[in-house]
Amino acid sequence: MTSALRYALPLAALASVTASSVALAASPPKDAYEDNCSACHQVTGKGIKGAFPALAASPLVTGPAPVLVSTVLNGRAGMPAFKDDLSDAELSGILTYIRASWGNKASAVTPADVARVRKAPPKARGLQAH
Amino acid sequence: MDMNDGVATGGVLTRRRFFEGLAAVGGMSLALSGLDALGFSMASATERPPELTGGAKGTKVLILGAGLAGMTAAYERSKAGYQVQILEARAFAGGRCQTARKGFQHTDLLGNTQTCAFDEGLYINHGPWRIPYHHRSTLHYTKQFGVLLESFVNDNDAAYVYFEKGKGPLAGKPVRKGEIAADARGYAAELIAKAASKGDLDAALTPADREKFVAYMINEGRLSPKDLAYTGTEGRGFSVHPGAGVDPGPGKELPPFAFKDVLDSGAWRVLTSVAGYEQQRTMLQPIGGMDQIAKAFEKQVGPMIRYSTVVEKISQTGKGVKVSFKDATGKVGEIEADYCICTIPLSVLKQIDLDASAPFKAAMAGVSYAPVDKIGLQMKTRFWEENHHIYGGHIHNDIPGIGSITLPSTGWQSQKGVLLGFYNFGGQAARISAMKPADRAAFAVAAGQKIFPEYAENYENAFSFAWHLAEFNLGGWAEWSETGRKEAYPVLCEPDGRLYLAGEHLSYLGGWQAGAIESAWQQIAKIHARVQQA
Repeated sequence: MTSALRYALPLAALASVTASSVALAASPPKDAYEDNCSACHQVTGKGIKGAFPALAASPLVTGPAPVLVSTVLNGRAGMPAFKDDLSDAELSGILTYIRASWGNKASAVTPADVARVRKAPPKARGLQAH
Repeated sequence: MDMNDGVATGGVLTRRRFFEGLAAVGGMSLALSGLDALGFSMASATERPPELTGGAKGTKVLILGAGLAGMTAAYERSKAGYQVQILEARAFAGGRCQTARKGFQHTDLLGNTQTCAFDEGLYINHGPWRIPYHHRSTLHYTKQFGVLLESFVNDNDAAYVYFEKGKGPLAGKPVRKGEIAADARGYAAELIAKAASKGDLDAALTPADREKFVAYMINEGRLSPKDLAYTGTEGRGFSVHPGAGVDPGPGKELPPFAFKDVLDSGAWRVLTSVAGYEQQRTMLQPIGGMDQIAKAFEKQVGPMIRYSTVVEKISQTGKGVKVSFKDATGKVGEIEADYCICTIPLSVLKQIDLDASAPFKAAMAGVSYAPVDKIGLQMKTRFWEENHHIYGGHIHNDIPGIGSITLPSTGWQSQKGVLLGFYNFGGQAARISAMKPADRAAFAVAAGQKIFPEYAENYENAFSFAWHLAEFNLGGWAEWSETGRKEAYPVLCEPDGRLYLAGEHLSYLGGWQAGAIESAWQQIAKIHARVQQA
């Protein structure tokens, strides 16, 4: 994708396009985390006691990537499923971010890691529910 | 007149004739038992509550949660002679069956406190808001308790569709659903009818069927019978409506859009042959707000409810259940009972100290809960009715974070109205709920302005609700994955010792009030059978 952009556009134009092309592809991981996750897990990663678990110092977050990927894709124990809302690139960015924030130190998650766990491509939600 | 007539007059004993014959000979009851025997029973198991005959034997039942599942269980059990008590975490009954009107207060888990400031008489159903006509369990109680209903417009050809991610001249333009429906189906019917009449579809059609099929396509697409062309149709609307005299006289029909523009717009997403099972075109709602149902139940079982009582621990003694709780003043207490029906959402229950088997607890982790947001926007005029002639229904759109905009099916032609400014779920709901209530309202108003030019200038105030941020819900409804449905769900439908779970999460009517009611019916029947056997 990066090389395609370079090929298609003169270098001078590249800087001005970056913001919009990034927005089209995926927002930066920190923003994507704050948009999609912070309502429950909080910007601080501390969660809300008795409702939403902390991600800081969480064995699940810093543990084996496939378990973490599956939890966010498919939901578990109250946690909603995000498989139809986040692309492999968005989700791997978010997971890499939470594995390296608030004192967490764990390896990066790649889009390929997400793709391996994902069973079906994201599908558009229906127009209505309930 | 219809195809069945042809069969009936052919001297064949049709089902209808057979039953008519039974009714003539043995009266209606014989006809009904005949229906039963052939599997055409008129009364399904989910139509009315189980009959709990044979006495309660002094059995005490503790119910956790005064939502529709809990109150259904309490109502039916107490009628059958059981001693019933309900613990409810909130200061009011109804669970998710809530209505926000003037003075309604909510503080979410982020600490946002909102007090609804709608004018007197206006409201938003921020929880359940519509009842499909076939949810007979819900309708059983509205009828029994005298909760008056009115129509909920769930499909409106005059309502706009707005797809900004489409292409072509119709993208990002409010277009009436009827216009899209007439054109998309009209052009499609034209293509098929022409192919069929030329014999291109003969592999699928006998010559006799071909003629009927072409007639059906003419009817379906409102085609010209002469040349099978679709050139628009009056039902999609007029630029000058027909009226009196010669002016406006016959009026002026709106011309159809080009087929390519309709296809490019993506707006055909709103068209399907028939409504989805849950999304019936005919829906109902209680007059005055959905919480009329909660209030009607509360009238029956109110004295059994202990309000503002939060469950802290559920233990089992082998012969019964012991529940520890904390009340509004912080005082702790305990209640013992022979059986417990727990209607607490699994998202909340998993945080409570629960004495249950390991497989049962593992099964509880097999479910996820949907983030769901709604916002009610008070508008100072009903511009959608006055200027756009849209009376209820949904503005289907693809604006991220909005989901549906829905116009109220109540208070027609009155001065003001509260419309639903967004109804979103999943990741989009998580996103929008991270905003402060004022920002959610600003976001909703800006989106609506894309569709109605009068939106922003008419906006007065808002009330929004995020179900995943509501302390005693932590989600709008349970969502089962295929694996969860197969492995975890059946485990939770069975009791663990003397603990029985009930609620929408233990039904295939997830997120609907009917699911809560029918789950409660099923569990109380099981307990009753156990009590009778003991």
